[in-house]
Amino acid sequence: MANRAAVVGVGQTKHKSRHKEVSIAGLVRQAAERALADAGCGWQDIDAVVLGKAPDMFEGVVMPELYLTDALGGNGKPVLRVHTAGSVGGSTAVVAANYVQSGAFRRVLTVTFEKQSESNATWALSPRMPFVPHVNAGAGGFFAPYMRLYMQKYHAPEHIGCLVAVKDRLNACRNPYAHLQIPNIDLAMVQQSPMLWEPLHFLESCPSSDGACALVIADEQIAERSPNPPAWIVATSTRADGVMYAGKDNIHPKSLIACAKDVYSKAGITDPRRQIDVAELYVPFSWYEPMYLETLGICGEGEGWKLTEAGATAMTGDIPINPSGGVLSSNPIGASGMLRFGEAALQVRGMAGEHQVDGARLALGHAFGGAHSYYAMWVVSADKP
Amino acid sequence: MATQPEILTKSFELGYTYTRSTGPLIGRFLTGLRERRIHGVRASDGRVIVPPAEYDPQTAAALDELVPVADTGTVTTWCWVCEPLAHHLLPHPFAFALVRLDGADVPLLHLVDAGDETAMRTGMRVRARWSDDPRGSITDIACFEPV
Repeated sequence: MANRAAVVGVGQTKHKSRHKEVSIAGLVRQAAERALADAGCGWQDIDAVVLGKAPDMFEGVVMPELYLTDALGGNGKPVLRVHTAGSVGGSTAVVAANYVQSGAFRRVLTVTFEKQSESNATWALSPRMPFVPHVNAGAGGFFAPYMRLYMQKYHAPEHIGCLVAVKDRLNACRNPYAHLQIPNIDLAMVQQSPMLWEPLHFLESCPSSDGACALVIADEQIAERSPNPPAWIVATSTRADGVMYAGKDNIHPKSLIACAKDVYSKAGITDPRRQIDVAELYVPFSWYEPMYLETLGICGEGEGWKLTEAGATAMTGDIPINPSGGVLSSNPIGASGMLRFGEAALQVRGMAGEHQVDGARLALGHAFGGAHSYYAMWVVSADKP
Repeated sequence: MATQPEILTKSFELGYTYTRSTGPLIGRFLTGLRERRIHGVRASDGRVIVPPAEYDPQTAAALDELVPVADTGTVTTWCWVCEPLAHHLLPHPFAFALVRLDGADVPLLHLVDAGDETAMRTGMRVRARWSDDPRGSITDIACFEPV
């Protein structure tokens, strides 16, 4: 059996369009310092640093882990870098957790970031390559047809995606770190926003953000004497899948079904909708909420949009999704997965502030990356497993 | 026997434009160069690091005390480039050298325009040759030259 590990520190920057006042090092540093302060420890207490980053092409910094070693106190320590496209924030947290669970390190600082203002992330995803047609569509262009497929296959009304956008942006108004805060948002505003990637409106898509997230993950002994309540890491899982192959189900990808099955099995979850108090899911485009509800077994196939429509996923619903405002409100890509994992931890620690779900004891964090290619999940609990 | 199929290859270029934010410390170092002044940063142990580091390499502390250093210094080691390539900053043979500026404790990587390899030696004294049009970049120091 693996050793117990817990999140004892969570730090993030304010997410916004441009952090022009700081370098990339200065940005990750803000998140790291906040995580250390939450954990009540200093740089000298950290055994290893695990850095996660989306493709180097996004900022044009090759091997940012080298450049950032000073800023993260990594000189003379193990520094490791993880990369799994957009899911990297989640898989980086999993790697850091697994190191502590294995006994290799007692206290790990794990950090992820994106400075989209220095980059060209959407188009870095669509390079012009020889021998293949240049789609030049960006991320949303790749995913839009699958959202239409979902709507058609399950007779989902067109406004469901807009409802997700309204709900997540209103949640973001309770989160001081969230990028997009649109207190007067409503269904009509989303529906009247420009069509970006048909059938997806502008306001149903994630923003481009600068931001960073950091966690301190510690072993049982350290966690028990940490100044703030720990979030016990009950289960972790990651899965990968090919980009495109005959028969791939891009609405309910089998790799995500496998990831969820694995993490639920390890966590003893048999009825996710009843047992999970709150979930932070990587929803960069509105329709991914109902699709994930189904793939993650929170409801049956074709039922996800009905949960969204009924308000079940709102802060006041029985399965709140993304009380932080989610990726729809803040998308520093490399950090977006870790923000889901960190927000799940904040919920079970009772430290989520204005977007705290009352009485949350068990929370799910989830991240996805690539073309339905990478998934990472964890379950955290207020109770020691 | 069937003929071998032709196996195709094709070269391609991949390029994007980026922006770099320097942050307050490196920003001050670069704007100093624009005024033909070189600054280091004082590390936690008192040493002066040039070019400045935002965070202490030993303690990880944030550093912010800029210290003026001279534009003269000593070559601590070097490598002669006898056939410069098109992208090198000098069109004729030169040395890549580590130069410890007077007032600094850590050497800076730059070019030394010494004319001939026989003029190079470890321990030699050099002085910065400034660009005619400094713009806030490390290349505002065009190169170093022997004194």
